[in-house]
Amino acid sequence: MMDSDIARVGSTQSTPILLFDDECAVCRRMAGWVRSVARNAIGERTIDVRPIGEDPEALRKLDPTLDIWKVYAKSHLLMPDGTVLIAGEAVAEVLRRSPGMAWCAWLFSVRVFGMRPFQGLLDLGYVILSDVRPIFGCKSCGAPALWARPFVWMVKTTKRLTGAKPRAPHRANFTPLVATSDPKPQSQPRPK
Amino acid sequence: MNQSLTASTRNSHVSPSDGIPNLDAAGFETRVMQGLGPIAVEFMSYSCAYCAAMEPVLQQVAETLRSRERIFRVNVAVELGLAGRYEIEGTPTLIMFSDGQEVGRAEGPDPDVATILAVVAEPFGIE
Repeated sequence: MMDSDIARVGSTQSTPILLFDDECAVCRRMAGWVRSVARNAIGERTIDVRPIGEDPEALRKLDPTLDIWKVYAKSHLLMPDGTVLIAGEAVAEVLRRSPGMAWCAWLFSVRVFGMRPFQGLLDLGYVILSDVRPIFGCKSCGAPALWARPFVWMVKTTKRLTGAKPRAPHRANFTPLVATSDPKPQSQPRPK
Repeated sequence: MNQSLTASTRNSHVSPSDGIPNLDAAGFETRVMQGLGPIAVEFMSYSCAYCAAMEPVLQQVAETLRSRERIFRVNVAVELGLAGRYEIEGTPTLIMFSDGQEVGRAEGPDPDVATILAVVAEPFGIE
């Protein structure tokens, strides 16, 4: 884990910090995507993407209001001015700060009769993606939401019919210690 | 930083709103293996959504049993040695100890107060 890295940054960070769940394969892929797109014209990162880790105190050193359980539940983006954006709001800000995605990011600020309809859609999309993560093999993400369970069943049935290698049977309320079927990328030795 | 954090002991700590101390290997030895009376330990990980669901329930159970049984937490993502020693296959796993000996275990119990209360109290005959 990179808890020490999290703690070291503290409030002196000049770029936002996106905290992601390193145990969730879907979240790791999203984090990898953000790392690739959130760069300015000279290739500097515009967002610092960091795993949440397992140290509540390291998180509180970043921001005393952070509760590690809540940070694992939803994406948190720590802004340099001390504000914390959560879930769909964090996604919108990530898009705003990703030069390649800025073309769509302005939509999330559009107001119609005081409402932000596109931000609302983004929030809904965030909830849907969050709820369906177990379908994509995230065993640490808990049970799929009720509405997503038919889809989980469809995915499992399709895989069984197509002869795909079955995953270990799911045990209620229990996260196996080998949490993901998608192995974490191993760090490569630096070339000399 | 919060005073309660800076004042926390080296091998266990309690978050400001947390009645369940986290133990590392050294804390486990002194407070569980050498501890007296009924003790329950939740082997958990912060990234485990089922542990998150269990958290408020366990807090409530810890409050209810405060005078009769102690409840601790061990993070298996950090304390790999303890996870191996107790053959933890997943989280949350509750293990009940008496005089350093395991007397009961529950893997993935339903996260409701009645169930958890029964699980952690039953091995000791606490009502």
